[in-house]
Amino acid sequence: MSASHATLGRSSGQQFELSIGRIPLRLHVSDARMLSEASERYQAFASSQEEPFAIHLKNSFSANGGSPEFAYDFEAQTAALRAFSAESQFIGAKNAYALDSLLRILLSWVLLRHTGFLLHAATVVRNGRAYVFTGSSGAGKSTVASLSPPGSVLTDEISLLRRENGEWRAYGTPFWGEFRAAGSNSSAPVAGIFGLRQAGENRVEALGPVGLLRNILPNVLFFSGEAAANQRLLEILGQAVKEISGYHLAFRKDKTFWEALPS
Amino acid sequence: MSTISNGPWQKNPALAWREIDDETVIISPTENVMHELNETGSFLWKKIDGCRTAAQLAALLAAEYEVTPGAALADTEALLQQLVSSKLLVPAGTATSGAPR
Repeated sequence: MSASHATLGRSSGQQFELSIGRIPLRLHVSDARMLSEASERYQAFASSQEEPFAIHLKNSFSANGGSPEFAYDFEAQTAALRAFSAESQFIGAKNAYALDSLLRILLSWVLLRHTGFLLHAATVVRNGRAYVFTGSSGAGKSTVASLSPPGSVLTDEISLLRRENGEWRAYGTPFWGEFRAAGSNSSAPVAGIFGLRQAGENRVEALGPVGLLRNILPNVLFFSGEAAANQRLLEILGQAVKEISGYHLAFRKDKTFWEALPS
Repeated sequence: MSTISNGPWQKNPALAWREIDDETVIISPTENVMHELNETGSFLWKKIDGCRTAAQLAALLAAEYEVTPGAALADTEALLQQLVSSKLLVPAGTATSGAPR
């Protein structure tokens, strides 16, 4: 893992640079309290890299010429996102929770150009490989994470998967689950994706590509209703399920489930 | 009696689809539901181009799979009906839009 630092207090406004799944981002925040909250929340992911995707926190939208390539509005219209090719505006984000939500929404869209996606999943590294455990709330993501050795959990809530140099890697993200702590800013090649179900005994069943897609699709984070974006997402997911081994995992709530997993 | 119209059909422009192995997977952005088509369903799906009618699609199916014209038409109309019910298929010329899921 490379050394990281925050960039603060430039004359043009205050900034915080971070990287999630090797996607460099730069937050431009004029409000000192918000900057402090963001710096604290994303400290483990602070990183300065070339050509970061700029994110401007604003109270209102400014057109800057041209229409956004991606727009998202919260239902209650408390916050909104407008994204262009290399920068984005977060409008009305008043606290770290809103910022967190907008960051997830933006990342799900930016990842389309990096052959990646966000998945509701806990990821645990074992013998240098990432075991990705996916499922809806209550399926057991945090349970699996809590039954894994300290330091091996990349995230207990939202995993970032992307294809790099011909292999799929899973990354931790700063998005919190029941651990109430940011994930790990590191990655490992994916050993497999496991669809979770808590049961009285441990059992693993291999899934074919279509079965794996059926399993992960409800747990993929994506917010665009635009047909081309959805088509791109499906192309990425289609490639993922053909190249990553997939399984159903029925598991007992103790550490013995690791013995049932393929090595 | 079939309730499928005699006019041409098109795929719903708002959806996403691709082939995986021998199956076709279709996802509707509005419902986040995954639909799967088998080999013959995939064959017909790929032939739906906004110009062909049910009868023309059935003729292609009959020629490809050596089934009687009557059986091919019945199978084609059944599939089209199912696709229409799931909003994956619309009459040609229909404009639709998606929504975040």
